[in-house]
Amino acid sequence: MIRWALALLAAFALSVHAQEPSPGKTGGPSVSLVSALLPSIIRGEPGNVDLRFHIANGYHINSNQPSEEFMIPTALHMGATTDIVIGKINYPAGQDVSFEFAPDQKLNVYTGNFTVGVTVRPLHTVPPGKYAMRGSLKYQACDNRACYPPKQVPVEFEVRVVKAPAAQRKRPAQSPHAHS
Amino acid sequence: MKRTLLVLVAILLGVALMIVAARHLQPGVNAKNGGIGALRGAPAPDFTLKTLDGKPFKLSELRGKAVLLNFWATWCAPCKIETPWIVDLQNQYGSQGLQVVAVSMDDESDTEDVKKFVQEMHMTYPVLRGTEEVGNQYGGVDYLPTVFFVGRDGNVTGRIQGIRGRSDLEDNVKKALATKATTETAQR
Repeated sequence: MIRWALALLAAFALSVHAQEPSPGKTGGPSVSLVSALLPSIIRGEPGNVDLRFHIANGYHINSNQPSEEFMIPTALHMGATTDIVIGKINYPAGQDVSFEFAPDQKLNVYTGNFTVGVTVRPLHTVPPGKYAMRGSLKYQACDNRACYPPKQVPVEFEVRVVKAPAAQRKRPAQSPHAHS
Repeated sequence: MKRTLLVLVAILLGVALMIVAARHLQPGVNAKNGGIGALRGAPAPDFTLKTLDGKPFKLSELRGKAVLLNFWATWCAPCKIETPWIVDLQNQYGSQGLQVVAVSMDDESDTEDVKKFVQEMHMTYPVLRGTEEVGNQYGGVDYLPTVFFVGRDGNVTGRIQGIRGRSDLEDNVKKALATKATTETAQR
């Protein structure tokens, strides 16, 4: 009996802990970069870097393609680099969600986690090694009742530039009669 | 055995009660909604801001009128829902002495968006370009919409942060209209 009661108490404590408001709720909205895998990218060739962001519980931010006029889209801006070319930035599709303040209206938003893909292409001349990439994510967050001013969070990640494997290196064109 | 069980149940109930109490007392966004801040009963901080046409507009020149001071922005979805209610209130209570004043917290570079929004939403009342300084005078406008209500005597009668129902706005408008202008303000 006591074991059952203790188990019940433990389960209750865990459930209570899970329902506690997140720090983000009391400290205002926040979006943070939670992970960026360090990809190895062959110089001279395009590669993709996935940046995973987390939005604090209780908040949402506009997607990159907001459904309503005047809404500020979430956008990643990468700083210019001399050795690595920034290519297309791929944003996930948002979710159409209705909120308490407008049950009949759907806004296209991100909640929880979302991943932004960045295409990068190191120049042929770049020496192999790790390279830091810097930029910022602009977003504008709301909760169920109010909206917060637009913010920019710094985004920083690394890419590892490697040489092309020997088998993939382009060989100079040879005359079909070279071995005759 | 039974006694131990009873003690555990009592602990569970106690913890549950503490959590419920803590949630209700926690000062968060929701607790602030509809609350009246430290400005209640105090004179509304005066300011001079520019209208969208660049003309100066001084709040204290409205003394003798009840004022609904609406901090908003074009990018704020709840503001877009709330604005038609505010337009209605101006139309309904304007003849009784209500004056709505909208303070846009958009960036200065978004003037064209603000003008378009104002036109689309039929905002016929003064729309001003807000500044952080004025926001700070009102306790820091950390999120939008935020609405202050000012009585005919120039004192703050209420505040609503975040969107609530139209009736909450209207109740506060009625309270502001029910105030009496002081002798000083009545002479203006």
